[in-house]
Amino acid sequence: MENIPEERIRHIHLVKVHDLTLSFPSAKGEPAKPVLDKLSFGIRDGEILGLIGNSGSGKSMTAYSIAGLLPANAKIEEGAIKFRGKDLLSMKPAERRKMLGSDIGMIFQEPASALDPLMKVGKSLEEILISHGIKDKAERYNRISDILSTVGFATPEKIYERYPHQLSGGQRQRILIAGALLLSPKLLICDEPTSSLDSVTTVAILDLLRKLCIDMKITILFISHDISAVKNFCDRVIVMKDGKIVESDTTEDILMRPKNPYTAELLTNARLDPRKLELTPAECDRTAEPVLSCKDVSAAYTASLWGRWDENRVLNGVDLDIYPAEIKGLIGSSGCGKTTLVKTLLGLMKSEGTINRKSDNTGAVFQDPVSCLNPSHTIMWHLKEALRPYKRQMSKEDIQVAIDNAIETVGLDRGYLNRRPGELSGGQRQRVAIAMCVITRPKLIIADEPFSSLDASSAAEILKLLAKINREHQVAILMITHNIHIVRAVCSTVAVMDAGKIAEDGTCDKVLNSPESDATKKLLEAENTLHS
Amino acid sequence: MGRQAGFIISKILELLATLFLVSLLTFVAFSVIPGDTAQVILGPDASQAQLDALRSELGLDRPMIVQYLSWLGGLFTFNLGKSAAFGTPVAGLIAERLPVTIGMSIIALIFVIVISYPLAILSARRPGKTLDQIFSVMGHILFAIPPFALSLIIITIASALFSGFRAGQYFAPSDNFGGFVGCLILPSFCIALPKIAMTFKYMRSSIIEQNSSEYVKNAKGHGLSDLRILVKHVLPNSNVSSITVISIVLSDILAGSLIVEQVFNLPGLGRLLLAGIARRDFPLLSGMVFYIAFITVLLYFAADILGSIADPRIRLK
Repeated sequence: MENIPEERIRHIHLVKVHDLTLSFPSAKGEPAKPVLDKLSFGIRDGEILGLIGNSGSGKSMTAYSIAGLLPANAKIEEGAIKFRGKDLLSMKPAERRKMLGSDIGMIFQEPASALDPLMKVGKSLEEILISHGIKDKAERYNRISDILSTVGFATPEKIYERYPHQLSGGQRQRILIAGALLLSPKLLICDEPTSSLDSVTTVAILDLLRKLCIDMKITILFISHDISAVKNFCDRVIVMKDGKIVESDTTEDILMRPKNPYTAELLTNARLDPRKLELTPAECDRTAEPVLSCKDVSAAYTASLWGRWDENRVLNGVDLDIYPAEIKGLIGSSGCGKTTLVKTLLGLMKSEGTINRKSDNTGAVFQDPVSCLNPSHTIMWHLKEALRPYKRQMSKEDIQVAIDNAIETVGLDRGYLNRRPGELSGGQRQRVAIAMCVITRPKLIIADEPFSSLDASSAAEILKLLAKINREHQVAILMITHNIHIVRAVCSTVAVMDAGKIAEDGTCDKVLNSPESDATKKLLEAENTLHS
Repeated sequence: MGRQAGFIISKILELLATLFLVSLLTFVAFSVIPGDTAQVILGPDASQAQLDALRSELGLDRPMIVQYLSWLGGLFTFNLGKSAAFGTPVAGLIAERLPVTIGMSIIALIFVIVISYPLAILSARRPGKTLDQIFSVMGHILFAIPPFALSLIIITIASALFSGFRAGQYFAPSDNFGGFVGCLILPSFCIALPKIAMTFKYMRSSIIEQNSSEYVKNAKGHGLSDLRILVKHVLPNSNVSSITVISIVLSDILAGSLIVEQVFNLPGLGRLLLAGIARRDFPLLSGMVFYIAFITVLLYFAADILGSIADPRIRLK
């Protein structure tokens, strides 16, 4: 990737941004600190340009300025944006809107909610064509079929009839790409398009985008905080901080030889490297009776409308044993049934087969600490609430001691007890969620992607904390993750899930170094492509 | 049997159980409150022998359970016996008054939807701006005024504005249908006003919520116009959640019409109910209470079923 591939060299600038200054003035019109500060850069025709920087650095606002999708309260103080020589900022809103979709395509972060839940995806795509004045119904249908096969759907006519909730995250992201490319725009702006996808899907989506970039002669502006995706995907990278460009160069020069200390710091922080954390999990005894044992567990989501029967079997005979004080990793691409397994293990979903628990006391830590806590109550209330089932056997003093111990265990000051979730950072909220688990002294904690919504340094802290709790409290942990580095660093055994079954189960050393199943090989391959 | 069919069957069972409880409560209530149907029919001067004879003729001397079962059977066959006060069959009395109440409810619902939706859409375009604030304040005022007071205010205004308007005028639907609808418009408007405020408030926040959703952002990114996004995406999604609100509004409208038709002097169910209460007409009252409860429960049932049909996530997953 040192050079732009020959077939894409077209050195004219497609977009020129000149001295762009953007701010959010307060309602009274007082000047505010600019979000973009005299920003100037160009996007060359045919290139894939990466835009990186911490959150709040102005990456997304840059993209929205080019697309014309700025929030109503944003104000462009000065500067110009030219698209193929045309000045965008002097255009009327209606003209700019027409450019969206036909000249500039946009892909956003959240494929889960970016499609109208009430509309078949084919209809959603058709809306785009209708809006851009394509009146012939047959032509619309053909164009949609074509684009659906271009983005990799083997049976477009079936996908056309699907509702968004019937598709996986990767499939939805393909639909969104299809929508953005439906009218063959020149520029595709991707705002964190892979941040909510697993590594296998990320690799597939990036491959698709790169192929489309060549086939359809598209220029891409790629905004991401995922350095590994940028590294594999972009020709050139711009690093932003506080609305200014820190440096810009070819991807290799930026990533390998960063000139600015901010870039260097960004690169080290961006990736969680668990190997450096020196984690020492507890020794576990695999001859003891398991804390949790699943035999042939199956589960299905069933549905039917007026007698048309439809069953979606998600778990297909899962066998899984977790021993005392063991940290077991559970990996697999999205849609393989990990989350459904968590639901059945916690008793939140009906299942067939046998699940034996040594104790009823199982804790759970989930992905999103924001929505797990009740915003109107204090941390103290949350911890008391976690103790509610045991309240009768405990005196007031016992409860106070348990709360103090739990908050200390997760490394928070007692002062936090009187705060509410809104006053805490993401990492601190995840600590509270863990404290709510630990306070009940569980034998097993099920952690469902507990790091994925955290930045790298908070994720490292939480990982250390879980290892410490495992060691000091002899708690077994089932760690569901899509990060194989975490598995290597902290888990003693790992199970790989595929299509509702355990494809492979064994020590980390064996499974990750000499994988036997195809599912494991595929996961490791994607991981290597991304993190080599 | 699929989940959708299962859902509908469970809802129907719920409906039947509710209705059974309503019938039981209604019957028990009218059995324990003081008052005697035979006394009402015969008047205060009747002798004990006359009362006993009428009681046995009306079946009031039978055991409670038998009386209840025969009343329950009557509910299904629309044979609720004779009204003590009017001397005609209860079912006939209700059927006679029904058009006014139903007509008013339909017109009021049309007012609610036709007025509250556009205002909500206008308000949600720029939340917090002047127009939105004016609408919100007006909504609060309308919401706070009780319907009977509102009726009096509107009668006063209408009498002052339109020389042809005469409060208390009524045409039977069979004689003059246009006149019938015409004389229902103002009372319907009075019932609708507070409900317009309520639906407006709900739709406004629902549209604002949908407007900030990811799929709206995405549709904008594809160059769809604001109007197209509103009509094709935002309103259908807001509607799914507003179905429940509309069903509550409709049952409120029914209840509200009982008072407003008294003020406007319209021969609807409300006046019949009041007449029944004043004269301790138990056969009439128990029948009416049951049927009003029945309509309310049926509305909620319809809302549940409609909601499950409108949302493919409930329908298919």
